[in-house]
Amino acid sequence: MLTYTDSTAPRPQTRLRRHEKGILMITEGTYPYAVGGVSSWCDAIISGTPGTSWDILAIVAGHKRLRPKFTLPPNARIARPVELWAEAIPLSSQPGVHGDGHSIPARLLRGLVPWRGDQANLTAALVNCRRRPHAVRREFRSRASWQEYLTTLAAVLAEPDRHSAPAPLYDALEAARLYQTLYWVAQTAAVTTPECSLLHATAAGWSVIPAIVHKELFGTPLLLTEHGVYLREAYLASIRQLSQWPARRHMSTRLALGLTRAAYAAADAVAPVTEANAAWERSLGVEPARITVIPNGISADALPTAPPAAQRVIALGRIDPLKDVQTMLLVADAVTRWLPAARFEYWGPVSAGEDAYAELCVRTHAQLGLGDRFRFMGATSDPETVIRSGDLVLLTSISEGMPMTLLEAMAQGRPVVATSVGGVPGVVQGCGLLAAPGDVQGLAAAIVMLLRSPALAAQLGRRGYERLLRRYTLERCVASYQSLITELIGR
Amino acid sequence: MTPVRHQAVGRETVEREASTSAHAAPNVAFEPATSTDLYAPGLLDARLGRSPQDTIEAAIVLEAWDGRAAGEAIASAGALVNRNGSPVLTRGHFEADDELERNSVVGEALALVLSILSVAAWASPLSIRFGAHPLAQAIRVSLPVAIAVQWMLRSRYLSRRHGLSLLARDAIPLSALMLLIDLPLICTVSWGPLAALMITIWAAGTILTRRGWGLVYAAVLAGGTVALRDLGDPYLPLSALACITTLLCAAALLTRRTGTDERSGGVSRALLAGTLGGGLGLLLVADPSLGWGVRGSYPALALLPAVLGSFWGGYHLWDLYEAIPRGLRGVPLDHASRVGLGDPAMRVFAGAVARLITTATVLSAALLLLPGSWIGGTDAVSVFMAFGAVSLTSMVVSLMESLSLQRVALIGLATALATEAAVQYLAHWRIPGAALAAGASAGLILTVPPMLGLLARSGRVLATTMWIR
Repeated sequence: MLTYTDSTAPRPQTRLRRHEKGILMITEGTYPYAVGGVSSWCDAIISGTPGTSWDILAIVAGHKRLRPKFTLPPNARIARPVELWAEAIPLSSQPGVHGDGHSIPARLLRGLVPWRGDQANLTAALVNCRRRPHAVRREFRSRASWQEYLTTLAAVLAEPDRHSAPAPLYDALEAARLYQTLYWVAQTAAVTTPECSLLHATAAGWSVIPAIVHKELFGTPLLLTEHGVYLREAYLASIRQLSQWPARRHMSTRLALGLTRAAYAAADAVAPVTEANAAWERSLGVEPARITVIPNGISADALPTAPPAAQRVIALGRIDPLKDVQTMLLVADAVTRWLPAARFEYWGPVSAGEDAYAELCVRTHAQLGLGDRFRFMGATSDPETVIRSGDLVLLTSISEGMPMTLLEAMAQGRPVVATSVGGVPGVVQGCGLLAAPGDVQGLAAAIVMLLRSPALAAQLGRRGYERLLRRYTLERCVASYQSLITELIGR
Repeated sequence: MTPVRHQAVGRETVEREASTSAHAAPNVAFEPATSTDLYAPGLLDARLGRSPQDTIEAAIVLEAWDGRAAGEAIASAGALVNRNGSPVLTRGHFEADDELERNSVVGEALALVLSILSVAAWASPLSIRFGAHPLAQAIRVSLPVAIAVQWMLRSRYLSRRHGLSLLARDAIPLSALMLLIDLPLICTVSWGPLAALMITIWAAGTILTRRGWGLVYAAVLAGGTVALRDLGDPYLPLSALACITTLLCAAALLTRRTGTDERSGGVSRALLAGTLGGGLGLLLVADPSLGWGVRGSYPALALLPAVLGSFWGGYHLWDLYEAIPRGLRGVPLDHASRVGLGDPAMRVFAGAVARLITTATVLSAALLLLPGSWIGGTDAVSVFMAFGAVSLTSMVVSLMESLSLQRVALIGLATALATEAAVQYLAHWRIPGAALAAGASAGLILTVPPMLGLLARSGRVLATTMWIR
């Protein structure tokens, strides 16, 4: 019978201060309309601060009926979400006065697309959208704006920069596509944000757009949490998906760079979940004094159980290229050649917009002849039970911040086999085995080792649980955020 | 009549590279491979297949696939970017939406044709039973209302992938809306029940043809037509038709219910679409010289050439949504806003107009030359011309609605109706269809030039109109 350290010491009670105005949390493709690690973190933070009222402004892709995937805590309410790419039919547009004589599209282009965009002009343009929301659509549909935009785009692309190769020459189609994207940037800036005492953006991307505007108008401090480095993930996605279209790749990465720079410039505090993210942020120009690493935390209310010794490997996460499910399938194939009784279960839904990748995974599964040795189980609302049913947890991501899956595995006393990306090595110290991303043989060897050595697996699992109690509890995480929030509001 | 296309703006599917994740990394378990600067260019070339776009891209490759720390990766990435060389003009990537929306266009056109044919076949028995004038009044109300309902349904539901599911979701409020339309008619005027039944039957046709049951709908109408001619009381077959088509609609919706997350179109947009559709219907029936209640099939059959021409022209207009983006691939920025009469947009529009005019002209001539008395009535060429003008107006208005130019479309349509009324009551022309032709022409004068001005600039129409709605 395995024994585990029983944390009998009383957990510190976090007394939370009630603020007169709440905190506006701005999410991007996550909470409360999608499940995942970031969403779980959002829910945990809000639930863990019952004395604070939260407004949630979600930025989502439109055209879909939105159904919250979480039951909101009583101290939270949902503001009207920002639906990108949705149909809109403003029936009237009020006449307005131009800002500085330049149209909104050109100003946004100048602020976002150059290697070092004009931050002051960008902020002013975004604020202009908020002050004149009815003018946004009118301006973007005007001939003069389109013409000025084309002239500005040609000039921006021609500007040399020592950090980049010569920019590709956009054709009219790509220029129109960028124009459309800037329109949605403007519409996002135009949304009304509720009164709040603090802005909390959960990514350095689209979610900072309304935050930048609100801060400029009302002086509200801005806290930016980075679960993954937005810019890094945008580049990885472009490398994977857009390599054969230089202009699309350039557009996608430059917009991400522009938004990230704007986010870092506006944030009063940046709270990465792992030191690996902090390293990127410092390298991209964020002063160390503004960075506070706050690791994710999780509740460990129940004592972990012993692994079932069923040679079952559990993976949790969205079916997404970042999770590198393809490598996981190859790993499963390699492991089951050594251990025919081993079984793999992948729990998680398909990421929005990644149906093609999911189909690719299914085809790979069929080509490898994995059959029921590897099963896609779909989404789960009870990851704890799923993890308890397995002997170890596997993570093959090519990019991660601090995945909640690791903490969930540690909470259940299960060892982890993972790729050494992002914050994973820092978390898994002494309680799991690591391999390089894409290292099929390395990952497979680690899994076989643990499945053949239950004692070693149990020891690593126990150490993971103890490490979790020392460093990664939800209470510790919430207390850290509460301290940072109080400091920011008090400035 | 050009249906509204629901344009999934900015949703082109990006082709995925085949992911070959079996890396040839050194078999060193549990630690990332070390590297030197000599290794970096080769790594970049292997991972990217090209030179890095900028220092950040190079740094990310070094960090992700070589295990370097972020700071070190960024510091060494500067030397790996090629700042020389000439920029290359790229060809943008475009992938078209699926074909579902084209099917709905065909279906809707079929429903409209069947509606016109049913009007043509019913005119005689209904005139005998109710009298020419009450029948004409019933048609003058039911046709615009039915077209308005069709345009609303298409705008809010039927132009979407899961349109029938979306419609099923709102079945109860929509049924209440239909009652709200029908009950006042039934209770107020003697021909009210007749009008209400025709509205119900024609509106149902849109749903059934969208479901793919167009032939079933046609068969039901044919059966109803036979019954109308054979039975004494027309209310019996018409009521049966209304009940059967309503039940078929219910079956159509029930059998296509899915748990979709897709969203219906906006209510305000649907109301605008309905207003435009109803306005076009009103334009069609408001000319008293056309005599919708005369004996024989005229002028109902006279509408058929224009309807088929409008259908074929409108079908061709669907190409606009692909032709424009494709035509802009490889076009340099300094040509992105040029005026091009030979541009894809102009060519498609001109092709649609040509198809409409040719079809309407050829079929009208064929009808005029048909022997026999079954067409009855007059053989005025002016009627065919008037219907042709209305169909062209309808196609242009529909295109404007789909491009979110509702304001211009409304102004054009209002002008058309006002001109038609003015010609009727002030000019006293005795030429059949003259008021209709004048009204439609006035609408075309107001709508076609701005449409041409827009379509002559493909880049601008894509960026500012098609993709900003």
